[in-house]
Amino acid sequence: MILVSGQRLLVSGMGGELGSLVASLLEQEPWVGSLCGIDVDPPRRRLRTAQFHRIEPSDRERIVDVVTTFDPHVLIHLAVWEPDARAGTAHAKQFTTDATTAILGAAAECPSLEGIVVRSGIEIYGRNRHSLTRPDESVAPDPTSEYGRMVERIETVAQSVAQRIGVAVGSLRLAPVLGPHVPSPLGRLLRQPVVPFSILADPPFAVVEDVDAARAFVAAAKLRLDQPINVVAPGAITGLQAIMRGKRVPLPLVGPEWYLARQLSHLGGAPIPEHVMEVLHRGRLADGTRAHDVLGLVPATSTPEVIDRLFRWESVVRITKPQMRAATIHGVA
Amino acid sequence: MAQLIELPRRAVETTARTASTAVTAPFRPFRPLLPDHSVDEWGRDDHLVRLLGPLARLRWDVSVGGLHHLPAKAGALLVTNERRWSYSPLYVSLALSRATGRPVRFVGRPDHAPFGAGLRRIGALLDDPTEVHGALRHGELVVMATSSTNHPRFAGSVDHELVGAAVTAHVAVIPVASMSSPFNRTARAEVGAPIRLRTKRRGPLAEIEIAEAAQRHLQRILDELGGMQTGMVAIDWLGEG
Repeated sequence: MILVSGQRLLVSGMGGELGSLVASLLEQEPWVGSLCGIDVDPPRRRLRTAQFHRIEPSDRERIVDVVTTFDPHVLIHLAVWEPDARAGTAHAKQFTTDATTAILGAAAECPSLEGIVVRSGIEIYGRNRHSLTRPDESVAPDPTSEYGRMVERIETVAQSVAQRIGVAVGSLRLAPVLGPHVPSPLGRLLRQPVVPFSILADPPFAVVEDVDAARAFVAAAKLRLDQPINVVAPGAITGLQAIMRGKRVPLPLVGPEWYLARQLSHLGGAPIPEHVMEVLHRGRLADGTRAHDVLGLVPATSTPEVIDRLFRWESVVRITKPQMRAATIHGVA
Repeated sequence: MAQLIELPRRAVETTARTASTAVTAPFRPFRPLLPDHSVDEWGRDDHLVRLLGPLARLRWDVSVGGLHHLPAKAGALLVTNERRWSYSPLYVSLALSRATGRPVRFVGRPDHAPFGAGLRRIGALLDDPTEVHGALRHGELVVMATSSTNHPRFAGSVDHELVGAAVTAHVAVIPVASMSSPFNRTARAEVGAPIRLRTKRRGPLAEIEIAEAAQRHLQRILDELGGMQTGMVAIDWLGEG
């Protein structure tokens, strides 16, 4: 595919860790002419050329105005709130629905639009009884958690927009994303001093690092992806193995006491939403080979390495006054 | 220019780490039994399989033949006969895994804990053509059983839907005759030549004919292997399986 330089890209959810990472990678791409972002929070990285609009997901009129004025060639839709990552399940669902409706609806009004890439998750496959151990993209979605149903809805809305206006729609089904500053309920739970796990099942799961996920979005936007792709780090790990790698205290649970563990974990600042419970009880794997075939992408960090890095990240970063002054003198904000 | 920030350690974290060390200390001698990196992308735990190997050999002393028929790297569907309660897919997969040094998976795990979860750790897959197709496409060796029979030297019918997974994944279907005894450790796994149809089929007839051919091939190998000789013809069949 020959790419014309000067492409306009819109990133919804640019304020989040993944969104700002995608934006910073896009700024380095020679084919990207202008970059615009929308989110409720400001970007977490220093972006040099991107324009950013701080808009509430419910403010549809302003979103439509910004999107149609920018008239993007490609929309990367990352405005997805994972339950209990930055907001509780009910709020996450509401924000995601509002943002999806407004942004994808507005994008459909843009005459230059050629492609849409949406963030989805491997939670879309669900973990019902007899569901496949390692589903690939040909497996029909059958979500069994609220987050799975949320990402399924995003894909459905994007597909319907694509059919009506005739643009390519690709969805990147990400394994649970972990990274130094990514708000992830799974990452938060694993970093607790005492971590519960299912002693009867202890199933394997896979994750992906935020940098690899961001690279996948850049590649998908560049190629005008028009199909779903799983983005999963190679390898797998079980809950107990992850706990042991982090030198945490494993708390073996069988069944009913999970309710109590969830409540206590919530009080401890690490709520365990439905889809994370599913990971611990039924596992979460997916076949990520198509990402290599289509996007030419092999995640650089394997699942056990991502887990190792998760435990290496410091819990608290305190910048004291003299250090802040020194940083200002050296020109670092 | 980046600024190096000295990060303070939180007291709670240090306390948690100390508590963790104290709690896990009694289990430290058993730590080598629980490695933290041994699960593959299908959930098979190679360390656990190695650990269970001697235990399995207490029950089955399997002699393996015809290994040259197995592909060196590609995937293959291995069809083995099964007498009721003989667990032949289990011992055949363990024996072939040991002999080839490759992970060999087998079809037929229930999808509930703890049995399904335990079987997954030793390489079991769901009895689902899509799951088998996925594994074969990724170059895995997968053992499936024929329908179980009461007689140890009768090969049961072969599920053509699972064979269809091999056909669409473009991998070989290979019969593996298995025999074991409920009364002693002796067991045998004989790998036959890959099934090849005389007439090439483009449609679903391919899997049906390959399934039938696999059953015939298995029966022939079982006949060639012969039965157990106890010296008392009337009860010879009891010692086979």
